Amino acid sequence: MAPGLDRLKHIVVLMMENRSFDHMLGGLTAKNPKIDGIKPGLSNPDTSPAAKPVSPQPLADFQGQLDPDPDHHFPAVDLQIFGGDTSPTRVANMQGFVKSYFNQRRDLKHSQKIMYYFPPEKLPVLTTLATEFAVFNRWFASIPGPTICNRAFAHYGTSFGRVDMNLLYVNEPFKSIYNRLISAHPKHTAKLYYYDTTSSTMEITNLLQYQPELFGTYPQFLEDCRKGALPEYSFVEPNYNDHDTDGGEEIANDQHPDHDVQAGELYIASVYNAIKKSPLWPNTALLIVYDEHGGIYDHVVPPACTTDKFTASANATGTGMPFAFDRLGVRVPAILVSPWISRGTVVDRVFDHASIPATITKFFLGDYSPRSPRETSADIFIEPQAGPVDPARNLLSLDTMRTDCPEFDV
Amino acid sequence: MTLIHVPRPPKSARDPNRPVNALLKAQIQYLQDAELKLPFRQRTNIYVNAIKTEGEAARYIRRVTEAIHQAHEAAARKRKRPVQEGVINIAAAADDGPRKRTSRGTTARKKAKKTSPKTARKKSKPGRKE
Repeated sequence: MAPGLDRLKHIVVLMMENRSFDHMLGGLTAKNPKIDGIKPGLSNPDTSPAAKPVSPQPLADFQGQLDPDPDHHFPAVDLQIFGGDTSPTRVANMQGFVKSYFNQRRDLKHSQKIMYYFPPEKLPVLTTLATEFAVFNRWFASIPGPTICNRAFAHYGTSFGRVDMNLLYVNEPFKSIYNRLISAHPKHTAKLYYYDTTSSTMEITNLLQYQPELFGTYPQFLEDCRKGALPEYSFVEPNYNDHDTDGGEEIANDQHPDHDVQAGELYIASVYNAIKKSPLWPNTALLIVYDEHGGIYDHVVPPACTTDKFTASANATGTGMPFAFDRLGVRVPAILVSPWISRGTVVDRVFDHASIPATITKFFLGDYSPRSPRETSADIFIEPQAGPVDPARNLLSLDTMRTDCPEFDV
Repeated sequence: MTLIHVPRPPKSARDPNRPVNALLKAQIQYLQDAELKLPFRQRTNIYVNAIKTEGEAARYIRRVTEAIHQAHEAAARKRKRPVQEGVINIAAAADDGPRKRTSRGTTARKKAKKTSPKTARKKSKPGRKE
């Protein structure tokens, strides 16, 4: 018996931009030691001859600190994870973040800002949701690389061999999660809500140009929540740029450096509130996750994983070494929200963005192929309704729905 | 239920003149690729390499996104257009074909001539507002 799972009909994923776990949620360890964040003894060497250790400090600011945008392309992330060791026997140690940021401005003092994290009280929305519902200690980006290839894993379960931003899907062998759902028998429903046409969708232009009917805007998402008309699967995108609209001024709320983090907090709160006030609240789970770490410090070494069907060549990675997609990217914040989740749940299992299509597919469609090797081996964060439920894995485990969930004044 | 206050960002946080980041550059590249597949009349005619700020990027992104939707809506309307009984389908296609030429030029040119400002000025009375 799992009443939360039995009632679950809608899954919503909100994917934000470019912040690491330690940077956003690391400060919570002081309140709850089960959350694997900032603790004494963590450091990175600076680039002075003495290689002076730089400790994480709770000095992160909403804007203006991470300029230039910290490098998070494949070679830079390789440096961040391996500390600059390129030998065949190297071991990941998360010691290259300060070195990597120093490379951009050659400013010793400025390079230390990559170690800054937010004190929890500065991020009331994210930290409240993390402590009120389920926070994932081991959710990693899918690739130690930039946005586009990582977001591709959330939609396709693979990046088709790419580790960069140049991803144009043509004749892809693996269908997107949206195509799987809408072409199933019986047909399921799925939608991608981008913020507005001026922000548009980020990396799935291929879907936009061939299947624009899959897309909606954020005001439509709010309306669908209000009317109780959400599709079974929704993917929500933030606003990626500052712009003017017919209705006024819009501020970027994706939290990508150097966009304002508070604007993103408001947006997360707005998505949460819309679902919580919706008649679908008892039937909906919301996953809030970040696409990658954005070059910002995290202390947890990304684990090895199943190789994908593809390999990126040494030329493509820019490191002189090929990449078989056999290691995850840097850890990112991830929170699962539902009124059926116990307060203070901390999940230690390993996930990455391939877990998103893996979970949605398993939950709504059951067995499905073809899927990428990375997706088929990815863990799922919501157990399927069909078959016996393992209570140890089921996060929506409460027998009765919570009535004490918080609300935000947005 | 606890109500949690969420601070608002200051107005100064917004800057449409901020240089485009790598992410927006990639988005522009994808949309440009999509734009090249649009019908000529729906393309933006914006030179993307000259886009330097978020505000400029936003204007381009909006134009292409709207054009993609419009192109699909136009195609859907065309698919739904009813075909009259007894009329062969090819006649419908002729609606969108080139204008028939006459011995004195295209019908479009003739139509333009009829309503040219020069002709209109001659016909209108002096001092009369158009």
